[in-house]
Amino acid sequence: MSHARPVIDAMKPTKPGATRTAPPRAPDGFPSRGNYRGYLAFGFGGFFLFTLSLLVLRSVWAIGTGEAAWNRLQAGFQNPLYVIYHAIAFLWLSWFILRLFRLFPATQPKRFGPFQRPPDAVMVAGLSGAFVVVTLALATILWGAV
Amino acid sequence: MRRVLLVLEPVIWALFSAGMMVGGLLLPAWALVMGVAGPLGIAATATSYDHFYALASHPLGRLVLLAAMALPLWGGAHHLRHLWLDFGGLRSDGLVGTLCYGGALLGSLLAIVAVVRL
Repeated sequence: MSHARPVIDAMKPTKPGATRTAPPRAPDGFPSRGNYRGYLAFGFGGFFLFTLSLLVLRSVWAIGTGEAAWNRLQAGFQNPLYVIYHAIAFLWLSWFILRLFRLFPATQPKRFGPFQRPPDAVMVAGLSGAFVVVTLALATILWGAV
Repeated sequence: MRRVLLVLEPVIWALFSAGMMVGGLLLPAWALVMGVAGPLGIAATATSYDHFYALASHPLGRLVLLAAMALPLWGGAHHLRHLWLDFGGLRSDGLVGTLCYGGALLGSLLAIVAVVRL
């Protein structure tokens, strides 16, 4: 029996036909209606994650360079635009993580190994409480109160 | 390039989900204290060189700062790439994805250097 490739491909249509898949298009009402606004606002949280972590990097780089570089950076951060940016970032990212925790129960299985799954409200409250505790603890340490 | 991004998708997804969680937990406190309260003079100690150097140069401080710098970059990069896709950027996805993840990779490497040189 020959294993040579057939000259004629039986699966190939004899002439090009109309495409069977529609080109991608935005759903109705996108982006201004319904849940799309919340979805996009959540996605835009990525901008604050990206830019704020770059500012943390800038700060750590400055503190590693020396006291003069650190003081220059802190003087720059007193610009009202930086302060407004950080205030918005704080509010946006707080909402971002609380929304993520609110969605968390939908991603979980019915049982956690041998254990029964806790009620959704317990999971959301536990995670949200953890966020508050971690934020307060970190803020206290950064503040210099400890 | 899109093929490479598809192959790397599991790794990118792991870094993205870790970045969302770590960034969401650590960065709000940073923004509030170092970005608002410190510059406004409410938390003057927070912005003092000696205080922050002591925190940052501690081994645990270095680890937390490394996580707060590197992981959210991946979370942000993935979100921004998908926002671009949502607004019809499929044709330029290879370029945008490379820029987003390339930026996250470069930032992560700089973050490692930043905590090592403290």
